[in-house]
Amino acid sequence: MARQRKSKRQQQLQALIMAPIDWLEERSGLVGAVKYFLFRRVPAETNWFHTLGSATLTAFLVQLVTGVILAMYYKPDPESAYSSIQTITNDLTLGWLVRGMHRWGASVFIILLFLHMGRVFLFGAYKYPRELNWLIGVILLTLALAEGLTGYLLPWDQTAYWATVVAININANAPIAGPFLGDFLRGGAEIGGDTLARFYSLHMLVIPGGLIGLITLHLYLVIRLGVTEPPWTRAAAGYEFVEDGRGPVRKGLVEPRPRGNGSIGTPVREEVRP
Amino acid sequence: MSSEEQRRQFELYKKNVARRGKPFYPYAMFHDTVMSLVVVSVIVGLASLWYFTAGEEPGDSGVLGPRYADESDPGTISFTPRPDWYFYFLFYLLRIFKWPESVFLATVGIPTILLIILLLVPFFDRRRERRLARRPVAVVAALLVVASMGVLTYKGATAKESIASENLAKVPEWQATQNLPQDALPGARIFASLTCLNCHSYLGTGGGFAGAPDLSAEGSKGRGIDWQIGHLKDPPAYTPNSPMPSFAGLTDQQLRQLAVFLEASKGPKGGG
Amino acid sequence: MADELERPGEEPVEPEAEPHLPSPTIWPFAFAGGVALLLVGLIINWILAAIGAVLVLVFGFLWIREATREVRRVPAPVPAEPAVSELAVVEEEEEPERYPRSVFLEMSTLGVGALIGGIVTVPALGFMIAPAFVDQEYGEVDLGPLANFPQNEWVTATFQSNRAEPGNVSKRTAFIRNNGVADGVPSMTIISNRCAHMGCPTQPGGLLQKPNEVQTDSGTVTLRVTQGLSGFTCPCHGGAYDNEGNRTAGPPVRALDRYEFLIREGNLVLGKPYSVGKVIGEGANAKIEAYRLADPGQHVDGPEKVFYPPKFWIP
Repeated sequence: MARQRKSKRQQQLQALIMAPIDWLEERSGLVGAVKYFLFRRVPAETNWFHTLGSATLTAFLVQLVTGVILAMYYKPDPESAYSSIQTITNDLTLGWLVRGMHRWGASVFIILLFLHMGRVFLFGAYKYPRELNWLIGVILLTLALAEGLTGYLLPWDQTAYWATVVAININANAPIAGPFLGDFLRGGAEIGGDTLARFYSLHMLVIPGGLIGLITLHLYLVIRLGVTEPPWTRAAAGYEFVEDGRGPVRKGLVEPRPRGNGSIGTPVREEVRP
Repeated sequence: MSSEEQRRQFELYKKNVARRGKPFYPYAMFHDTVMSLVVVSVIVGLASLWYFTAGEEPGDSGVLGPRYADESDPGTISFTPRPDWYFYFLFYLLRIFKWPESVFLATVGIPTILLIILLLVPFFDRRRERRLARRPVAVVAALLVVASMGVLTYKGATAKESIASENLAKVPEWQATQNLPQDALPGARIFASLTCLNCHSYLGTGGGFAGAPDLSAEGSKGRGIDWQIGHLKDPPAYTPNSPMPSFAGLTDQQLRQLAVFLEASKGPKGGG
Repeated sequence: MADELERPGEEPVEPEAEPHLPSPTIWPFAFAGGVALLLVGLIINWILAAIGAVLVLVFGFLWIREATREVRRVPAPVPAEPAVSELAVVEEEEEPERYPRSVFLEMSTLGVGALIGGIVTVPALGFMIAPAFVDQEYGEVDLGPLANFPQNEWVTATFQSNRAEPGNVSKRTAFIRNNGVADGVPSMTIISNRCAHMGCPTQPGGLLQKPNEVQTDSGTVTLRVTQGLSGFTCPCHGGAYDNEGNRTAGPPVRALDRYEFLIREGNLVLGKPYSVGKVIGEGANAKIEAYRLADPGQHVDGPEKVFYPPKFWIP
């Protein structure tokens, strides 16, 4: 669509508004990076299935924000942990909402993570050149489950305490390293205040640090390597779209390249749209 | 598939996207934003539902469980540990592998092997093919994993065991359902307070471990009071190879009351 | 510094085309060290001050001599680094470089970086790991007068195993039976309630009577006579034990743990816990195969015990 030529005044106004952005861009290149991220091309067939990844990220951000707020009122000490949770839930303004969002956000996060992983698997989006992204994703899955495990202990109620007893003993069941691992996680021979402090440190600092770092890498790879089309598209089948010279929108299909990779009986057919 | 071929295919992908692709903003980002809104609304909705349907006391459960459980008591003898729901499949694995030599399979063996396989998926499957109809192994594997984890999670969620302190409260229910006579009640209370229901099941309560039979209709098996008392004192003499411990430590009166209760349990009225 | 001095009668020194750099010598540093030693020695010990004064004089003289070379027109000794000249360049190209500067810099950067990394992380890691394995002893617990444990009766006792821990953290439960006296020695069966499979709390298969709270040196002990006890069962995964703690059904990998005990001034005092492979016999005649305390799920006997090294750091 044709834009009208801007008046001199409009141009001056635009320059004024853009000035800070240009200042930032010249000194850092960040604006260009954001523009690249926003306006990069994704396959035309990108559909709702592809929203699962960003939905998982949203759930994680909810956890981050609610977690930081909860950390301002939670006391990681065996004598005060339970009562601090009671205070948060009952007395503090909207404390119940933040705590509830954090607790149910964890479940939503895990569910979306599994759905996202299933989508990636079924779309074959772990194949070349995205293998590294898959590896990072599996590590993210492990970290997310560990985050849930360490967070579960923090309310220090019956369910928290006993679930952690069993979880640590499961780890202690590993051959050779088991006894050391169990005592290391527990911070001693028996579960106590040291265990709570250790799990708090893991839950607040170590695992979120790992999650944030790996999610950044994960997203960088998605932007660099591109979004995979759904497997039912022509493009996924290996067809190439070519201009057939009959206009800007006309496209033709060329037969899929022979792959020699053992795919079962791909019919070879040339198809040219009229 | 040679890496040259792989690179060519990837170049093809990039060309396709460059020609026919749409800019991320606003097309795909719109979808993402809507979905994120849904996610946040669901989280807020769940939190509100949980809070407003649960009571203030610990253990006072609403639609989505109580606000908190009781404060932790490391010396308790009446609590059933459970992990968070997304670990139910691991919890149920621990119940399946009930032979001592196999415990390590459930704790570290199977989960570690599955994790390694998951990590190495892109190295097992190097084919370029992405169409589902032409990836039978992948589709079948995905279905099997989803089905097994779903079944294990469900079984873990519905796994039953009994806590003696909670069973006592069920005695009036049993009396109503089984139409128990008055003299069966003392035995019913003893039955609820002992750990019988850790192995046996009765009207839907109880563990079902160690091959222990359901006792809801024990009375209709025609065994008689004396058989019950003798069996309680020395189970292997009446049921060979029974792992049930001997209850000879109970008084004669208690044994008789238990036997009366068992013989009076003829199944829920109206058949069952 | 003395290059601009003009002595009368002599030709003025030409200002140099390049900036004057002092030649690389050690005299200034040794001079400074001597000054510091002198000042410190004045406070601490006059011998140090004397040494410092000597150093100051000697190295000060040497420094001034070096620095005034140009004024006195004494040629500098041949510097360690080759002067930049065509001859030198040709010579360098012919000789192989044995310790080129950049390689030295690379190696030393990596080395010093590794050293710094080690200095920071090793103590931190040590702090993270070591306290979990040090000072892990189990103390004694006083459970009150022996009279509270009638002969041949089972008592479920809940106590605090470590008063130093805050709150409820060290609450534990044990199933205790007084077996009377055997061979002149009191015999007690004291079984921990933590299941040997994954540590869940086991339930006693008996009828719990009213609790009796006893105040002892180790805090409040709650005692409940458990009548008609036959075995213990675990609600988690179906483990079952008999009255001696031997496993009868389910996944537990060994018998229930037990506590050592002693009778002191008529009170039952618990010692440290230990793990049990199995128990043969009953009550006062029981033969207990005892092992060092192990975590639940770890085999202590049988072929699988090679996979679980004993926890030697617990005394």
